Amino acid sequence: MSQQKTAAPKAASETQLVGRAQRGEEEAFAALFEMHKRRVYSLCLRMTGNVAEAEDLTQEAFLQLFRKISTFRGESAFSTWLHRLAVNVVLMHLRKKGLQQVSLDEVDTSQDEPVKRDYGDNDRRLLGSVDRISLTRAIADLPPGYRTVFVLHDVEGYEHNEIAEIMKCSVGNSKSQLHKARMKLRDWLRQNQGLMTAGEPVASDQAPTER
Amino acid sequence: MDDTRRQRTAECDCFELELAAYLEGESRPFVPAHLRECRFCKVVFEDLSRLRTLARELPLEEPSRAVWSNIRAQLATQRAFAETAGVWNWFWQWDFLRRPLPVATFACMLILGCWFTAPRNYPQPEPAASLAASRGETDLVRSMAFAGGATGLEQAVRELEAAFKARERSLAPDVKATYEHSLSSLDASIRECNDSLQREPGNSLAHEYLFAAYSQKAEVLSSALEIDEGR
Amino acid sequence: MADRHQQITKKATAMPFGLGIILCSLALPGILVAADGNRSEKTFETTPSPRVTVSNMTGQILVRGWDKPQVHILCTVISPRVEVDSEVLPPNELADKIHFSTHLLDPLTVGKDQTADYSLDVPMGSSLEIRNPQGSVRIEKLQSDDTSVETVGGAILISDFSGHLFVRSIGGNIDVTRASGRVEAYSITGDLHFVSPETSKLRATTTSGRIFFEGDFADGGDYSLSAYSGDMDIVCPRSASFELSAKTVRGKLENEMPMTIRHQPATPLSSANSLFGTHLTGKATVSLKSFSGTIRIRQR
Repeated sequence: MSQQKTAAPKAASETQLVGRAQRGEEEAFAALFEMHKRRVYSLCLRMTGNVAEAEDLTQEAFLQLFRKISTFRGESAFSTWLHRLAVNVVLMHLRKKGLQQVSLDEVDTSQDEPVKRDYGDNDRRLLGSVDRISLTRAIADLPPGYRTVFVLHDVEGYEHNEIAEIMKCSVGNSKSQLHKARMKLRDWLRQNQGLMTAGEPVASDQAPTER
Repeated sequence: MDDTRRQRTAECDCFELELAAYLEGESRPFVPAHLRECRFCKVVFEDLSRLRTLARELPLEEPSRAVWSNIRAQLATQRAFAETAGVWNWFWQWDFLRRPLPVATFACMLILGCWFTAPRNYPQPEPAASLAASRGETDLVRSMAFAGGATGLEQAVRELEAAFKARERSLAPDVKATYEHSLSSLDASIRECNDSLQREPGNSLAHEYLFAAYSQKAEVLSSALEIDEGR
Repeated sequence: MADRHQQITKKATAMPFGLGIILCSLALPGILVAADGNRSEKTFETTPSPRVTVSNMTGQILVRGWDKPQVHILCTVISPRVEVDSEVLPPNELADKIHFSTHLLDPLTVGKDQTADYSLDVPMGSSLEIRNPQGSVRIEKLQSDDTSVETVGGAILISDFSGHLFVRSIGGNIDVTRASGRVEAYSITGDLHFVSPETSKLRATTTSGRIFFEGDFADGGDYSLSAYSGDMDIVCPRSASFELSAKTVRGKLENEMPMTIRHQPATPLSSANSLFGTHLTGKATVSLKSFSGTIRIRQR
């Protein structure tokens, strides 16, 4: 995974913290939380697109971590283990919410709808002007399935075989969903480029989609 | 012809099919070749490449302070933090030992083992087969009723009671009140049955009610512990 | 839900001020209604006899059977920190299993804020499993092979049910009206009411609650009612045909129905009141037990 940086002294102190946390030391719990909270929260935020949900899922992930910490045996890096746990927490939440989030109040949109094609577009380069805030908004507006694959692969650095294992799909499916997610993001950013540069927030229903 | 209107060709379709694999690092000679010829597809390619770069560089976000406060409060409620260092911390590392049903099962198996191997010099209590066969009993209670009779059941109830007392504070007040009322009703019935059996040891109905009261008490306590564990 | 609220707010602020005032005042009743809770509604296409499970914390759950192969849910929550999730299997076909659960987004949400009210319309042949610890459950018009309901303090009300019913409450009352098939009802301190039962097999147990049974006994039916300290009232028509076994250790036995006394019990119960007899041709089997409660058998 691209963001995994474990310098030797940090790994040693993290190992000590884990050991102390396994013995129930509150300070060790707090230190582990401080070390990993941003990574876990960012993952939750990007996969849900919602601050309140992301905070709740972050809490849930750390609570599960602390309940299960005694089972950590050091076969993988602690951060890898925690990250995978957080991903599972978010996916479980998204699976449970899946229909309710999409369908109870809104029209159900299939994840297999065709990706927009660039018919009639000129050669404007889009993404020189796109900043990280715009991209964050665009990711939040993706359908949940696309969002998950994009965040796991392009943001968090998971490989397709890992994503396939996590999401219980084929590698081919993961690749196909990722490509569709990127194309959809590109379309969204193109449609909202003018408004984005003016600094106005864009409501999701104001993003026109061309066919 | 308006130069801004794109003329999509069959090569563009082929490019799009190959693009995903090319971006994953797979060899697709057609893609770079087409990029040299088609400025529209080149824009698409550059956009997607830029997206990937931006995605990797997204900054980490900071959660609010409330997140740790909530986590800490929950862990404190669950008594996750060790009060003293030493042998109990080692003991409580074994997660299953904190769960009442495995503890109760283990204790009962131990007691039943002693009971089976102990010398028999008193008649076994009559099991209340009609009540124990009901779907209203837990599997644990059913197996114990079959195997061990009232003694094993009594022990299991004591274990569950201890677990309940340790965690009853985490129940909502109205739920706790309902459970306490029910448990006191069952305790009253157990006392009365025991009184009755002291006067009339052969009273089969009293035996039946005594066994049923213990079974129901075990079930009520298990149900309270399940609610506490959020099942 | 939060995104939709944000969208509505953004549109309102862009309008002219005067028009906004007028529209806001017209919308005020709607806002007040909406402020009572967040509603969501959904219909699922299902097989003819799906399994529907509900896991709630507190609130009212109402389930009605209908003749459509659909499950329709209308749920209302008081707090935005409470969410109702649905899980459907299989995911992209007619649903055979649907699970609804209420969960807290904020673990510190307590008391009435945890309330989620459900109103479900389900195919009549559905199997149900409902857990609502602090709330009540009402089920109407169902023909179910397997329905189970559990509460802690909330009441359970079942009417016009046929099939196999299992209901359990720690402290809540249980009312079963016009039920046929097999019924098992358990409570510790709650009362059990059976009205116009058409069951072939009834088992009911309460510790300190009362039992009230009003109706006839089905031919070949098997009825077993047990109360520890609560009283038991059986009211049946003159035409009821049953074989009775009634015993109580310390309570009283009062019987108005003419009985042919069958036999004396083999096991001595010198301090017990008991009655073993047959009314008319004894087509149903009725067993009534109590420890210290009074058993009354009356004619309607």
